Amino acid sequence: MKPTILIVDDHPSFRGFARRLLEADGFSVVGEAGDGASALAASRALGPQLVLLDILLPDADGFAVAETLAREPEPPVVILTSSREASDYATRLERTSARGFIGKGELSGPALAALIDGG
Amino acid sequence: MRGQAFRIGFVGLAGSVGLVVLALAASGRAQPGFLLPIPVEVAIGWSFVSAGLIGWARRPDNGTGLLMTLTGLVWFGRQLEWLDTPLASHLSHVSANLFLALIAHQLVVFPSGQARTRLERMLVASAYVVALGGYVVSKLFYDPQLEHCPGCPQNLLLVSANSQLNAVANVVPSALAILLVVAILARLAWRWRVASPPTRRVLSPVVWTGWAALLIVAVTVGLYAGEVSPTLDRALQWSSLAYTAIPLAFLAGLLRTRLHRGALSGLLVDLGDAASPAAVRGALAQTLGDPSLEVAFWLPDQERYVDLEGRPFEMPANPERAASVLEHGGQPIATLVYDASLLEDPELVRAAGAAARMALENARLQAELRAQLGEVRASRARIVEAGDAERRRLERDLHDGAQQRLLGIRLALRLARGELGQGVSAVEELLGEAENEIAQTLDELRALARGIHPAVLTEEGLGPAVETLARRASLPVQVEALPTSRLPSAVEAAAYFVASEALANVAKHANAAGATIAMRRMNDSLVIDISDDGVGGADPGSGTGLVGLRDRVEALNGSLRIVSQPGRGTRLHAEIPCGGEANAPSSRG
Repeated sequence: MKPTILIVDDHPSFRGFARRLLEADGFSVVGEAGDGASALAASRALGPQLVLLDILLPDADGFAVAETLAREPEPPVVILTSSREASDYATRLERTSARGFIGKGELSGPALAALIDGG
Repeated sequence: MRGQAFRIGFVGLAGSVGLVVLALAASGRAQPGFLLPIPVEVAIGWSFVSAGLIGWARRPDNGTGLLMTLTGLVWFGRQLEWLDTPLASHLSHVSANLFLALIAHQLVVFPSGQARTRLERMLVASAYVVALGGYVVSKLFYDPQLEHCPGCPQNLLLVSANSQLNAVANVVPSALAILLVVAILARLAWRWRVASPPTRRVLSPVVWTGWAALLIVAVTVGLYAGEVSPTLDRALQWSSLAYTAIPLAFLAGLLRTRLHRGALSGLLVDLGDAASPAAVRGALAQTLGDPSLEVAFWLPDQERYVDLEGRPFEMPANPERAASVLEHGGQPIATLVYDASLLEDPELVRAAGAAARMALENARLQAELRAQLGEVRASRARIVEAGDAERRRLERDLHDGAQQRLLGIRLALRLARGELGQGVSAVEELLGEAENEIAQTLDELRALARGIHPAVLTEEGLGPAVETLARRASLPVQVEALPTSRLPSAVEAAAYFVASEALANVAKHANAAGATIAMRRMNDSLVIDISDDGVGGADPGSGTGLVGLRDRVEALNGSLRIVSQPGRGTRLHAEIPCGGEANAPSSRG
């Protein structure tokens, strides 16, 4: 059984492609959010097992949103994502409570599954 | 010169009076008892006249010298007593009292020589009223026969012979005189206390002598109110020699300001040829005796004052500070800001400023240079900062725009590959979306490139570029005039970005129905006028956009001005020199 996913990104076209790509790989996308505040609200309302979280959001920093999510009663697994490279965020990625990071270009069901298991 | 003629006349008059008195004494006539010993009489009169004449000649603008000369002449009026007639006797006594009032007058108004405040005018008027009115009152009930002075001249002012009333009429004016003396002494003490060092130096001889002399007057008046023994009377008469110190003290005070002026020649030596602004200030402060002296230099280009370091200078609103503007050819050079006490001698400040004019002009140029250097440093820092901000913006734009879309396309293609087995229609839909994304990506990249540097500006020049800008604006823009020929690329770029930033501001903030743009070649400059009919109230100092534009224009020796009154729209006026040849249009494509 593949986990339920909430996709958080401020670009609708990316969210659309990501949803279809992950659903094609058997994930169940339960919701989408365009910024930090609605991501928190959607996570509480929908209780996804996984949050795919963009780092550069219009109202908040993805790292900060990840920390907030980690303090929830039943925290989801958080995978950070960005169109920038992981090396752009090297030290912050070391300190974050998020499970892992995946570049937007590398996004696929198997890559995501490997991160969840490996983290 | 009229003053000179008057002074010679006074010398003659005082000299004659003195000689007549000496002759009278030598003739062996009995000296009237009212008068002091002859040498004392002559010494006092001449001390006032001569000190007064010196003061008058050195400081003709200051009333003190004239007042002292008059005091000496009035003193000689006492010699009318020799005539031994009732009227002459009265005039002689009135002269004696008037003499005291004149001294009080000088003590009140020194060193300016003029009663300038209400208190000063009141004290001066009281001195004359007590001295003259007091004399009249003291004679109203005085009968020489009753007062055991049968040989005394007849009293023309006698109203009613009454010994008791006479005693009262003598004591009351004396008491008033003593009160007045106390008031003037107190005021002198207060003035001394609050005076700044420059004023104290001028005041000190007069304050100390004034105190001593007024004390003598008070004691004398007090003693004569009672019975006076012949020995004491003699002693008091000779003590009057102390009066000769008063004109000397006034003269010393006046000449101290004069000595200051002597320091002016030293000032010129100190300044030398290429004194720094700080050295000029130091020399002026020393000459004027005011360590707190500030010098502010006028920058005509920027229409503002700067301090020694070229930083903006605010004129103080403090009443304890006074300012005087030094001009050259109708143009201000500098303003001296100093302790208001120096206003006692405004001429000295002017003279010092005039003496230091060359050095000040030189120092002003230095200060102007420093101000310009400061401006250049600030604008250089702003340009670097603007460059960094622009790079950050570009990275963000690329990240948010083209990069996101390309990522989406990559995902779409990956999805399409995965769905190849599922059927043609699903793949077709995905490829269509991918193509659509690519088209939008291209549009965004083009807009981004235009923001960095519009190709139309490089290829076609300013006119077509601004026309495009006007067409693309989010509000109607009327283009009134544009240059038809090419200009140097830096000028074209600056003008284009001025227009682009101005239109962006209009669209964002002005709430305007429309805007107009005019760019004209005038006298080898490009003159730009952009106006809108919006709400106005734009602050040219705020917003990095406008400041950045000004830096860009000023880097080309141009100027940019924005007038934006609330409710009256915003008008931008810029002039950019076009010196140098126009660049050939590039043919790169």
